[in-house]
Parts: sequence; structure tokens; C-alpha cells
Amino acid sequence: MGLIKKLPVYSEKIPGGGLVTTSVETVLHFSQACSLWYLLFGTACCAIELMCTGASRYDFDRLGMIFRASPRQSDLIIAAGTITKKMAPRLRKLYDQMAEPRYVIAMGGCTIKGGPFYYDSYAVEKGIDHIVPVDIYIPGCPPRPESLLEGCIHLQEKIKKQKLSDWQEK
Amino acid sequence: MTREELKSYVEGHFDGKLKSLDTGRYDPIFEIQPSDLITVAKALRDDESLKMDFLCNLGAVDTCEKLEVVYSVASTTKNLRLDFKFSLPYDNPEVDSIKEVWPGIDWYEREIWELYGINVRNHGNLKQFLLPDDWDQGNPMRKDWDAPDFIRMPEV
Ligand code: SF4
Repeated sequence: MGLIKKLPVYSEKIPGGGLVTTSVETVLHFSQACSLWYLLFGTACCAIELMCTGASRYDFDRLGMIFRASPRQSDLIIAAGTITKKMAPRLRKLYDQMAEPRYVIAMGGCTIKGGPFYYDSYAVEKGIDHIVPVDIYIPGCPPRPESLLEGCIHLQEKIKKQKLSDWQEK
Repeated sequence: MTREELKSYVEGHFDGKLKSLDTGRYDPIFEIQPSDLITVAKALRDDESLKMDFLCNLGAVDTCEKLEVVYSVASTTKNLRLDFKFSLPYDNPEVDSIKEVWPGIDWYEREIWELYGINVRNHGNLKQFLLPDDWDQGNPMRKDWDAPDFIRMPEV
């Protein structure tokens, strides 16, 4: 067990084939991190950058991230765009419909603290973190695709570092 | 018809009910009396050389002393545009509905009713429109509007 903790994957050549030992935790979280399917949830201009990141130039798919049109099939919401007070209950509903484990990325100033609509706006929710728990914040207006990619890589690292016991506590 | 011609044409006709305002803006803008609204709207639509058959926009402005209602109309056959507006008092503002002239104004009238609290007479369908379903905080586009989570831009 000590070896496995230090070295998540341990392989050994035995005559006639290979032997790999690892922990369930490592495999589980590795697979989760490498197949983050995200919900299409673009509500304003940040969605354009999200689409660009998903297109061929930045190629989201190489991180194992594929968009899904249904919250039931998604692991991640990338909240890309302004969340108005009217949209907030819908965001919560979609989040509730996702299966655990689920993650949220707040992309852009609007989702972090209202962005350009912080002042003088009766309609915009000032931060989505009081609607859904947020894992990664990506500042910018809008953040460039590179920032989004970096945010997703950070999320993958976070997932890989998780412990199964974290889930039992929740 | 050029914009200058349009301006003098409108001022010369319609019994002087539309008074041109010199604001230097691109499309001519006229001031009318709120009581003349339906007459003026019908006249603009039915006039042979204007044929204002399309309502582009209806907006309201809160100038802190009074409310202004601005109608933008256009003619799709004569390629003309003009605006006309009038002022309303701050308390109990009321306008007539001109749905019978341009039916497309329906939603705009609901919008100014909801966001500015301007009552639209004879509209017939003034009900909650753009604001959240459980909204109970009044008319948010009024300048004096306030709410607990509303943050005003600081003076710089
Ligand atoms: S953060 Fe900027 S770019 Fe993103 S949705 Fe808000 S206004 Fe648009």
C-alpha cells in the first residue's frame, strides 16, 4: 500500500505479459478527469469563447471534454455567460439534474461577481456561487480559450487529487 | 423625401400637432401632446405621402423630473423614419394604447408598463412580461428605484 500511494501506477514485467497494479481510487479519478463531459450552457458572450475552445483550433476534445445537450449525461457545467435572476433557478435545476460527481466552472466576470453588470443592474445575479458550488473560477471578459483550457486542466488536477473518502463524507 | 423635407412636411401638415425638436440627431424628432397620440398615429399611418406602416420601437426615458415616451416609426414603402415623443408626469403616468394603429406595439407597451410603471389605457393584456415570475419590487427602470442587492455606480 505504501508503494501505491507513492507511485499511483506500478507495472512489472512478468514472463508472458505485463502486470499493472494500482488503486481503485487512482483509476476512478483518472478516468473521471479524462472524460469530463460538459453541459452546453452558454448564456452570453463568453459562450462564443467556449464554442471557439470546442472547435478545431483549440480542440477541447483532446482533454476528453465533449459537450452534451443533457444534464443527465454531463459531469461539468461551464457557466459561460451572464446569469440573470431569471436564469438562476434554471441553472440550479440543471445542476440538480446532473449525476454526482459533478463540477462547475464559472467562466468570465459575469459568473464570478456580475462582471460589467455589477453596478446599476436589477437583473443580473452577482456571482453564481450562491446558486451552485463552484470548483474553478476563470476571470476575464471574456477569458481567452487558453484560460478556459487552463481552468479545465486545473479541474482535472483537482479531480485526480480527490479521495474516495471525500465522497463518503458528502 | 429627404430628412429636411420630411421635417417641414410633417410640421406643415397634421394641424401643427407635431412640433419639431432641434436636437441635431439623424432622424427628425417631434413633440406631441399625450392627448393627441391616437390621432397623430393614425394620421401618420394613413397619410398618402408618408405611409408610416411600421412601428420600430417604443421606449421610455426617465429624466428624474418627468417621464418621456418615445415612438419610432418608419415607412417601408417610402423609406422614411421619424420619432415622436411626449412627456408624462412622474406620478400616475398614463398613455393610450395604440394597438389599433400598429398592433405590433403590444409587447412594447407591456414593457414600459412593467419597467417604468406607465399605465397603458385600453391595452387589455397588461400582465407580468419580462421580469422574473415572482417579482414584487416595483419598476426597476425608474431612476429612483432601489432594492437590497442593487449596487449603484459610485460617482467618479
Ligand atoms: S464576462 Fe464579459 S464576455 Fe463573459 S458573459 Fe460577461 S460580459 Fe460577456
